Amino acid sequence: MREALPAHKPWFAASLWEWIFTTDHKKIGIMYGVTSTVFFIVAGLMALGMRLELFSPGAQYLKPETYNWFLTVHGAVILLWWAIGIWASFANFLIPLMIGARDVAFPRLNALGYWMFFAASVIALLTFIPGNHIMTMWTGYPPLATMQGVGFAGTTALFVFIWHLTGFASIAGAVNFITTVVAMRQPGIGFFNLNLFIHGIIAANVIQLLGVPSVAGAVTMLFLDTYLKTSFFDPARGGDPVLYQNLFWFYSHPAVYVMVLPAFGVISEVVSALARKPIFGYRSMVIAIWAIALVGFTVWTHHMFVSGIPDWVKIIMSYTTLLIAVPTGIKIFNWVATLYRSAIQYRTPMLYALGAILMFLIGGLTGIPLGIPAFDVAVHDSYFVVGHFHYVLGMAVTLSAFAGFFYWWPKITGRMYPEGLGKLSFWVVIVGSNLLYFAQLIIGIWGMPRRYYDYPPIDSWIELHQLQTYGAFILAFGILLALTALIKGAISGEKAPDNPWMSNSLEWRLPSPPPPHNFEEPPKVEEDYCPHGYCKF
Amino acid sequence: MRRLLGLLLLSAFAFAGEVNADVIARPYDLWELIYKIWLFIAVVIYAVVAIPSLYFMIKYRFKPGEREVGDQEHEGHWGLEALWTIVPLIIVLYLATHGFAIFTQMRKPPENALELKVTGFAWGWMFQYPNGKMVVASAIRDTEDKKCKPEDCYRVDGALQQYAYIPAGVPIKVLLTSQDVVHSFYVRAAGVTQDAVPGRTTYLWFQINKPGEYWVFCREYCGQWHSRMFAKLKVVPKEEFDKWLKGEVAGFENKTVKVVKAKENKAQEVVR
Repeated sequence: MREALPAHKPWFAASLWEWIFTTDHKKIGIMYGVTSTVFFIVAGLMALGMRLELFSPGAQYLKPETYNWFLTVHGAVILLWWAIGIWASFANFLIPLMIGARDVAFPRLNALGYWMFFAASVIALLTFIPGNHIMTMWTGYPPLATMQGVGFAGTTALFVFIWHLTGFASIAGAVNFITTVVAMRQPGIGFFNLNLFIHGIIAANVIQLLGVPSVAGAVTMLFLDTYLKTSFFDPARGGDPVLYQNLFWFYSHPAVYVMVLPAFGVISEVVSALARKPIFGYRSMVIAIWAIALVGFTVWTHHMFVSGIPDWVKIIMSYTTLLIAVPTGIKIFNWVATLYRSAIQYRTPMLYALGAILMFLIGGLTGIPLGIPAFDVAVHDSYFVVGHFHYVLGMAVTLSAFAGFFYWWPKITGRMYPEGLGKLSFWVVIVGSNLLYFAQLIIGIWGMPRRYYDYPPIDSWIELHQLQTYGAFILAFGILLALTALIKGAISGEKAPDNPWMSNSLEWRLPSPPPPHNFEEPPKVEEDYCPHGYCKF
Repeated sequence: MRRLLGLLLLSAFAFAGEVNADVIARPYDLWELIYKIWLFIAVVIYAVVAIPSLYFMIKYRFKPGEREVGDQEHEGHWGLEALWTIVPLIIVLYLATHGFAIFTQMRKPPENALELKVTGFAWGWMFQYPNGKMVVASAIRDTEDKKCKPEDCYRVDGALQQYAYIPAGVPIKVLLTSQDVVHSFYVRAAGVTQDAVPGRTTYLWFQINKPGEYWVFCREYCGQWHSRMFAKLKVVPKEEFDKWLKGEVAGFENKTVKVVKAKENKAQEVVR
């Protein structure tokens, strides 16, 4: 065996120049992560602005066009930058480490993908210039989106370019991650002993690869309709606005699985490591992930139950939509079973992961009735929908992302985060989110339509809106605490051991932080390797 | 299995057939039925998952020297996994089927329904009655100052000037379309929503039995004043409605309101 002379500098020691021109998956991963988190904060602040405006009925602080712009950017940024972008960060940093590779398959494509994402970020910032606001909502339904101007869509072009550029980044990422996992695994790592996180990421990226072209086509047609006066969606000239909705949701419904499958992966990693027990039903977990990804493509019209599509389509998609609950349920039951006869260490990532499971359950159970047209007609486009997807995205995805941050922080930075502050942040976040999102579910059942700048002074509505605003500020404080804990840990935390969680997964066999080229020599993968087994050494 | 499914289907349809006679609004009664079924199932499932989880979370804590490692042999159990695949499958098949049955009923307007044509525009609703009478419910017009007192913004005689009259106890079939962007017609008391799509005619039906005032909101984002795009239904006894329809009641005559086409809507002037 060659006496390896390890480079003793951590992966992040590099000049600014090297950071900009880097093709290292770890650096690119961190750049994705920083960009995503910055935009997450911006979108969160915009949400606080909206919550203030809705605190009482009537026009208060914001003009309606400002509110609608905030709402559009909040939606687009949380979905494209945070819920999708943050997993690009995790995937970049972790996939090569987990499969024992030195980098991704196409490092330069990877860098190009990030810089496209960065370009999209610049476009998103351009919408902050007065006169360039986008007010299409993140869905950008025509004919509204083809009508430029303050009262209607704002600057449609920026909306379209955001989709194009993030879409390009997504496809570049998807090609890269799929190839990396297919072609660059260490011998001994196969389909059924791959990290569940990787299964989640790869299933999500297969969805990206198949789905993004559909939405890219839709927004391109939107662009042509708006600026070159074509008539894809103009009913006066033979077009059909519902066509856009079909093309849009054909991607954008599966996109929610792009957001949530990696989150499931993170939960599985964290729960099995910190419960010190192999994940229960690994195989059914893998099958469930892929089943969700597959069936996810057959359910999109449940977003269009009141759009005027034929009733028989609604019924078919109602069955397929509810079918998704089955594999999702399997995952939840398996996580619970993993806790049985375990030895749970209540560290910060574990709190976040367990919180994500119990909150995702609410998100899932409130999603089921939205798949039943008979139920949906009363709550379609109401705050009930808002509450539902905030339980899924604002809680399940965000809590898992923070679980992931805290869990891999020792590996990424080489330092431990402050435990007490981390735990405190979890409790503040969970209290704030539940106040905020549960109030949304109730007010939705009572009929409050979504995307409202103002609302009639109905007493019960006012109370629930105020509750939401209090919850939003508590939540914001919690997120602030969590970010403080992470930053404090990165700067002044105590030195992290190589494997603080005693995980069996490959990334923990590297020093913390990993050296620039990861593995000095290909790691030996034992015969019965399982990333979710308890570490025996 | 097939027999079981058949039975499930049959019972679902039978269950959906019951209609309570003294309901305030329809098809809200049908919605309430599926709502209660869902709520019951959801609460039970939440309890079934959360109670054992909390129990495990408390019982199986890491204790130094005593419980440091979980049970390594406990890696899965096909029987259990099959159980929590099949039971949820049956539950969702039941829910979808029962929902199907209820939805079929919800979408079928009664024979004697009064047909009303409603056109959405940015930002208001135009109601056309069978005899040609029109009501334009629009709280925002291009000349309007956006500053209204919160209690006036949504009041008839405040920002809005007209009620849309609806006879009590008579099913109403609404034929919907839009003259500019996509809107969505939501009758709050009846719990029904349907998009108004330009170039298409969609429909919904509802029936309100108790006289009073009821909200109609727009539920599809339609631009700047989406939130003030509402109408108020005034549900009155049939005789009173007939009188109003013929224009015999003084004070209810159609006030002239200019409907602004979206393309020429000077929305910018609304705000500035």
